[in-house]
Amino acid sequence: MATVRTPETSPFAEVFETEVVRRNLDRVRRGMDVILDRESPVVGATPKDILYAKGTQRLYRYRPVTDEVYRIPVVLVMSLISKPYILDLSPGQSLVEYLLREGFDVFMVDWGVPRPEDSHLGLEYYVLDALPRNVEEVQKVTGEREINILGYCMGGLLGLMYNGIFHDAPVANMVCAATPVDFDGMGLFRRWSDRRWFDLDRLVDSLGNIPPDLIFRSFEMLRPAQRWAEYARLLDNLHNDLYVKHWRLFNKWVYDQIPFPGQAYRQLIKELMWENKLMKGQLNIGGRMVDTKGITCPLLHIMAEYDHIAPFASTQPLSTLVGSEEKEDMILKGGHVSLIAGRNAWSRVWPQLSQWLGERSV
Amino acid sequence: MPDNDNRADVGQLWRSWLTETERQWNTFFNDIMGTDSFGRFVGGYIETYSQFQRLISQNMQRSLSTFNLPTRSDIVDLSERLSTVEERLASIESALKTLAEAVGHPTQTASVTQLRPRRTRRPRSQPAQAQ
Repeated sequence: MATVRTPETSPFAEVFETEVVRRNLDRVRRGMDVILDRESPVVGATPKDILYAKGTQRLYRYRPVTDEVYRIPVVLVMSLISKPYILDLSPGQSLVEYLLREGFDVFMVDWGVPRPEDSHLGLEYYVLDALPRNVEEVQKVTGEREINILGYCMGGLLGLMYNGIFHDAPVANMVCAATPVDFDGMGLFRRWSDRRWFDLDRLVDSLGNIPPDLIFRSFEMLRPAQRWAEYARLLDNLHNDLYVKHWRLFNKWVYDQIPFPGQAYRQLIKELMWENKLMKGQLNIGGRMVDTKGITCPLLHIMAEYDHIAPFASTQPLSTLVGSEEKEDMILKGGHVSLIAGRNAWSRVWPQLSQWLGERSV
Repeated sequence: MPDNDNRADVGQLWRSWLTETERQWNTFFNDIMGTDSFGRFVGGYIETYSQFQRLISQNMQRSLSTFNLPTRSDIVDLSERLSTVEERLASIESALKTLAEAVGHPTQTASVTQLRPRRTRRPRSQPAQAQ
């Protein structure tokens, strides 16, 4: 008489139930998700409204989640090189969300993705025109005169230039994260863009905006083995849902590069990379001198020891440039991204940042 | 020693090897890429890339003009004009919004400007003042 096998008694059930098989099946499934980009992670999901728009630039106001907020609003100034959602990666992993929960009124200046006709936009536009206009909009909507500026990477540089030109700007406190100021410390970037062999004008005149691929490749060349090592680590951790989620989030942002406005790039290379004028106190933007010694508001300077995009040597002297009496350096072991969005950020930077800003935002 | 520990040891060994190998390769390539000759090579590559781009762009422009089709610069001009129109529209919209709010008519985006949380929060270490 034939015996009827239920799934529970099947000889295969035992095999499939073992930890090793289950783990490997999970690996395959998650590996396929990554390869096919299935269920791509949602980024920048914190609810926000557009307060002001000009060209590709947007000023966002994130919806406050507390009834009571600090008096002085926080304006996040983004870099021209990358997309802004690194500060709002995903729920539970977003600086914006964290600041909102801590009771800040949060705004973001997002420069958008430059279009071909934006290739003529130089630092004058960003520092003398756009930033002051955005600050005005924030003042108008909050009814507050003062603002806090938080600039990440080149966003910090733009904030520094703005504050260094307009000494009467209503900046109550300033936070710069991974902001390069001493371009002699830019390592390989400096070497590759040496004027002896780098025909900058020809590049910008031919291309207009600098293509994202060129920027991405130059970042990648700084750590050529990193990509393959990251894939090997992913393979090793494919059984770990959280690891895969974080890997996909950061990977999405790293590959999601945007063009760099041609004229701004030209100025950045000529004035900063070649001449290092900000450090020498000789930077002139649209006929206005950037006098960083005239910046007197409290400054929090966050930098990473192993940052390969904005190396430590290039970020470290920032606080010596400003005239503020109250300035604080926060040095972390991590890299350029983990400084603001990684584990280092959640456990160390965000709480300290919130406390530092909170004490000064009443 | 149990099997699990051996597996963990092998895994850990592999992870350490990976980190060390990555570091060594990065250092090796960085040393090469930090030389003047590599810098010259990058400069040469970018110059060729720029020339190639310019050549393609000129040829494409010529071909499109021959067929009486809009070129990239025509589209960029159009886009610039559109941006100017957008900006003017935005300023008109903003003026209208201000007028509408002044006479008490809420506008579509008024919710953004009307979000007015109390700005009285104090840090946890600093107790709120008694009212």
